[in-house]
Amino acid sequence: MKDFKRAVLAVLSSIALTTGCSPFVDNNMIEEIAPVIFWYVADAGEGKLKISTVVPPLVREQKRLLTMQVDLLKQGGKDFNLIYYRELKVGQLRMVLINEEIAKKGLIRMVNTLLSDPAISPRLFLAIVQGNFDDYISAQLQKQPNLDYFLYRMFKHYEKTNQGEMTIVNLHDFLKRYYSPMPYPNLPVFKVSSNYFSYVGTAFFGRDKLKAIVQNMDDQIYQLINNDKYLKHLAIPALSTTLGQVRSSVQMKMNQDASSISVQVDLTGRIEEYQGDKNLLEGEQLADLRKEIESYLEKQTAELLKKMQRWKVDPLQMGSLSLGPLKKPLREKEWLNTWEHVKFDVDYRLHLQPSATALPVGR
Amino acid sequence: MATCSLYAKTSGYGGIYVMLMVNRLQILYFILSMPAYLVHPYMIWGIIAIGVLSQCNLMILSRWFASKYAAKGFQGFVQLFGERGVRFLAFAALFPVFVKVTVLTLGYVEIVQMFIFPSMDKIWLLLSVFVTCFYVAQQGIEKTIRFVVIAFLCTIWMIVLFFPFILPPLATYSNLLPLVPTEWSLQSWKGLLIVWAALSGPEYLICLAPWFNSNHNLIKYLTLGNALSILEYLLLFAASLSFFGSDYLRISNFPVVQIIRYLQSPVFERIDIILICIHLFHFVFAAALLLLYFYGAVRIIVGKWHEQTTRRGFVLASMAVLACMMIINQWFWTTGEEQYKWLALQVWLGASTYLLVPGLLLLAMKIKERLQA
Repeated sequence: MKDFKRAVLAVLSSIALTTGCSPFVDNNMIEEIAPVIFWYVADAGEGKLKISTVVPPLVREQKRLLTMQVDLLKQGGKDFNLIYYRELKVGQLRMVLINEEIAKKGLIRMVNTLLSDPAISPRLFLAIVQGNFDDYISAQLQKQPNLDYFLYRMFKHYEKTNQGEMTIVNLHDFLKRYYSPMPYPNLPVFKVSSNYFSYVGTAFFGRDKLKAIVQNMDDQIYQLINNDKYLKHLAIPALSTTLGQVRSSVQMKMNQDASSISVQVDLTGRIEEYQGDKNLLEGEQLADLRKEIESYLEKQTAELLKKMQRWKVDPLQMGSLSLGPLKKPLREKEWLNTWEHVKFDVDYRLHLQPSATALPVGR
Repeated sequence: MATCSLYAKTSGYGGIYVMLMVNRLQILYFILSMPAYLVHPYMIWGIIAIGVLSQCNLMILSRWFASKYAAKGFQGFVQLFGERGVRFLAFAALFPVFVKVTVLTLGYVEIVQMFIFPSMDKIWLLLSVFVTCFYVAQQGIEKTIRFVVIAFLCTIWMIVLFFPFILPPLATYSNLLPLVPTEWSLQSWKGLLIVWAALSGPEYLICLAPWFNSNHNLIKYLTLGNALSILEYLLLFAASLSFFGSDYLRISNFPVVQIIRYLQSPVFERIDIILICIHLFHFVFAAALLLLYFYGAVRIIVGKWHEQTTRRGFVLASMAVLACMMIINQWFWTTGEEQYKWLALQVWLGASTYLLVPGLLLLAMKIKERLQA
């Protein structure tokens, strides 16, 4: 009897809670909301932001592009509701694409805003876009209605195993770098036009401001020695060679007074394509090619490092080499002064593995 | 009026319960936010050092458990301090018990609101958490002690989730450098104080001595519980430090929850929500125990300890606690600054009770022996 009374009480109170005086304020009725997958943020001039997204992501309904001009990022999230009949929710926000112009002015306010919202995952992907992404989306929406989702899958795909095609950075990675003693985050850069979308390379930041973008060979080297330590394909057009399945192990050493850094890279990979004149079946010529590749990479890497010094960024976090269990860590300013005058000693060692079929020269 | 015996003793509890209780009382609210206060890598040594101190303190406490007074429970205290003294001590204990239960409940409610129901009025959350605590507490002290097993099993497995964060690629080991303090500030002392306050809690076990089977070799279980807590704190601190880095950690409000938010599962997006909810078991155990302490202390103060406990009395005491909590929630826990003051108060109170209680008991025992001799 006592249990029965309790059960009745429980049922009655839950009825009261679910129907009448509900303490819940958020309405998440699935038919009435539209989770957004991405935001694209661009500069609209006069301190205003232009923010756009595609709705609806879930139901079978004509997709369309929503664009707003706002003063604040979150205001944009709110104002979308005023021009669309479903309430937009940010709980599924997966990507924030940021126009290059904004990135040059500084990102940290925007990124901190995203971080402080518990509904937004710290795994949110960030990327820089060159060109107008709105044009691209509105032109493609008829042909590929699920474009936003495909883009997200692309990020996800390359993030998962770090296979070295692209730099993929999420909110947490960016902020972790930003708040570290060497505040030089990086982000991927994509180029768009109305019917064209492509990966360009990696953007280097000094604190939250975009300083420079590296592409092609430089980007590949960056992936090799820092980001992923692996490249599925390393194409070297200058030597008519493509290396495949390249793994790297990098050893960096700084001397006592931080005046020079030696970078030793051990590459293991195989030649997957060769268009040159050498006969790779002959040991000597193969060794020649190996040396050529080594010295080419050494030269390119040294140049890349010098460029970084010029840009005053240290995305390889070489400053952390100066850390020790007993040493007081260098602050950013001190390190930057040292960094500009560091000499580099780059040494590559390429270990060529045999490929499934040898690549003799064509007759 | 229905009578109920909240403080009945029908069976004894073995040392394993002591271990679980020591561990769970040490790992309470502070575990979720502590890394944000410690920040510097050298605090790893701080945690170890304070852990060793805590161990010394537990050794003093175990001498109390081994004494003839402990097993007698209330009568033992009366023998040591006299009736008047016990009433005074109970009165003095009301405040720390109340602050602890308030900070624990409101702190948890705050986290729930921050991460799970940002749009909900906190009063509802407070009410539902409190009703759960009340339900557990009114089952009596024996069932509450038993509940520690559930609380322990529900939460201990979570440390497994933190292992990915101490391994690369998620961890950056250079964040753990330098390991030796290069500068020492007031903030560092505060960090040590917070660790000490976080490890407080076992001093509350003195009132449970009559329910334990054998009070003679408790030191083994106290040590195990303490060691487990220190390991947990170390793991969580090292994980959050290598995952965030010092500067990022400083701006993060509940780093342990923030870390969990980084986990992903194919089934459920927000793992942090589930884990925060599971923490409820743990917090309810502690709050229920403290509610029973509060009621017990009130009974001693008004001099009704020899009478049967009544449900009405317990309900009234709980209502008083709830009312105070609601008032605090409404007017004195609104801004982050006020919340920080409450936390500071709890840190100071917890640290001082943990420091004073075992020493005081030992001192009283010595004086008593000398007087008798």
